[in-house]
Parts: sequence; C-alpha cells; structure tokens
Amino acid sequence: MTITKTGRRTVLVVDDETAMVEVLEGYLRDEGFGVVCAHDGPGAVEAFREHLPDIVVLDLNLPGFPGTEVLRQIRALRDVPIIMLTARVNEVDRVVGLELGADDYVGKPFSPREVVARVKSVLRRGERAEAPPPVGERRVGGLMIDPSSHDVRLEGKSVTLTPTQFRILEVLSANVGQTLTREQLLQRVSADGDVYDRTLDRHIANLRARIEPDPANPRYVLTVFGVGYKMVDPT
Amino acid sequence: MTSNVFHDIRNNLAVAISSIEAFREGILEPSPARLGVVLHALNEIDVLLRKIPREVPASGAPANDLAEH
Repeated sequence: MTITKTGRRTVLVVDDETAMVEVLEGYLRDEGFGVVCAHDGPGAVEAFREHLPDIVVLDLNLPGFPGTEVLRQIRALRDVPIIMLTARVNEVDRVVGLELGADDYVGKPFSPREVVARVKSVLRRGERAEAPPPVGERRVGGLMIDPSSHDVRLEGKSVTLTPTQFRILEVLSANVGQTLTREQLLQRVSADGDVYDRTLDRHIANLRARIEPDPANPRYVLTVFGVGYKMVDPT
Repeated sequence: MTSNVFHDIRNNLAVAISSIEAFREGILEPSPARLGVVLHALNEIDVLLRKIPREVPASGAPANDLAEH
C-alpha cells in the first residue's frame, strides 16, 4: 500500500465457522478495529473489493474456493497484509513461504488474543514501511545526524552507534529543546517493543559515552528529572 | 483420510476454545445459542476421536493412516 490511512483500521475476517468469525469480530472491535466478515471464498473476494480493508485474516479451508485462491485474487487486486488461519499444520510452510506470501499465520486452535496481537504487529510492520523517508541531515551544535545514511559526526569525526542508539538520537534530535517523556521515547524508538523501560537509561548512557565530550556532564542529551530526556543545542 | 480427522478436530477445538475465552473475558455473552455451538463442537470432537484407530504402535513410526498429509 502506498496510502497511509489515518483513523480506524478495518479487518476482513474470513472463516466458514460462523462462531469463529463472531469471536474474532468481538475481540477486534473491542480493540477499536472496524470489522468486515465473509464465510466463503467468493464472498471474501467480494467483501475485499467492496470494503478495501487494511488487513485480511483468512482461514485456509473455505467452501467455494480455498483460502489460497482468495489470497491470490486479493493480492492481484492490492498489496494488502494477510494473516492465514489454518488447522493444517503441514500447510504452514507453503502458505507463509514464497509460494503464497502470507505475512503471518496462526495455527488452530488459537487464543483470539493471539490473533489480535498478530494483526497489530503486521499492521505496525506495514506502517513502518510506509513511513515517509527521513529528511536530510540535521545539525545540533557540533553534531551532524543524517537519518538516510545513519551517519553521525561529532565535530566532523565519524561516530559509530548501535541501531537503538541511533534511533534514540534520531528521535531526540528531531525534537530539539523539547522534553520527551520516557513513554514517548520508548514508543517512538521501539516499534517492536524491543527497548524496555529499564534498558532506556542504559541506552542513553551508552549514547552519551559516544557523543558527549564529557559524558558525566552531558551538554547534548539532558536528563529532565522525573520526566524524561531532552536534546539541546549547547552552542 | 485421517489427516482430515485431525484437521476437523482442530477446527472444532478452535471454536470451543475461542468461544469460551470470549465468554470468560466478557467479549461475547454466553447465550444459549452460543453455548449450543460450543457443545456441538465438543460432541463433534468426540465423534471424530472415535474414527481414529485405537491401536497405535507402542514403538517405532506411527501407523501410516495416522500420519498427516
């Protein structure tokens, strides 16, 4: 998809078991998603054409024609993320592999919360891919940060950062002079939730060790006690 | 043949497990109709289990008709 939709995301749920669809619909609505349902192959393709959902949760075993055929037809219409549901464990490799290219799968039986979690995670993956390209290099004091090449220079000298350190610096430098709470930083730095609250301070300390002339008395990345961090231009 | 039995068992289990979880978490009301669907799924599992050959070799590879395709 090339268009970033704002507001409510719509999920198309396809399963021949009405009860299954009803449960998933309930959970997804509870999480704020819009939900469209279908119970067979042709109905799924029709519902897709009509509603153009943001993501499809698709059972493999459907009357009419199988989920694999639904996947092919939907993908021919639009490049939309698809999560397969299957009770056939041995089909999984084929479904998620290159042949069909589903984005993820959940084996039956499952916990409905697991399906919701996968929906969110696949959508998030897509959002990151759709994010606008980073703007050109920015300068904060003696620091030069280039988001497109991941290049960081301090007084002209190249600085090597880990990907997490770079993401923290990227977020902070885009908001110079503004205090970001720990939650805001965590949220923006870690789309996958792979940076945790307790490790944030360590990442900041490591970042300071690389970019601060005197890490014990930081001039670029300041601690705002009880709130979070902010980046300032020391010049 | 038996692969379909396992497939059908998992499908019915999926209905029963997901429905009960939705009831427990207050996502859906456990109406008599919905409880009927869960009961039906469990009864189906019982029927399907009876189709599986009783004698499974104690050692070595499982019987061919138990293998999934």
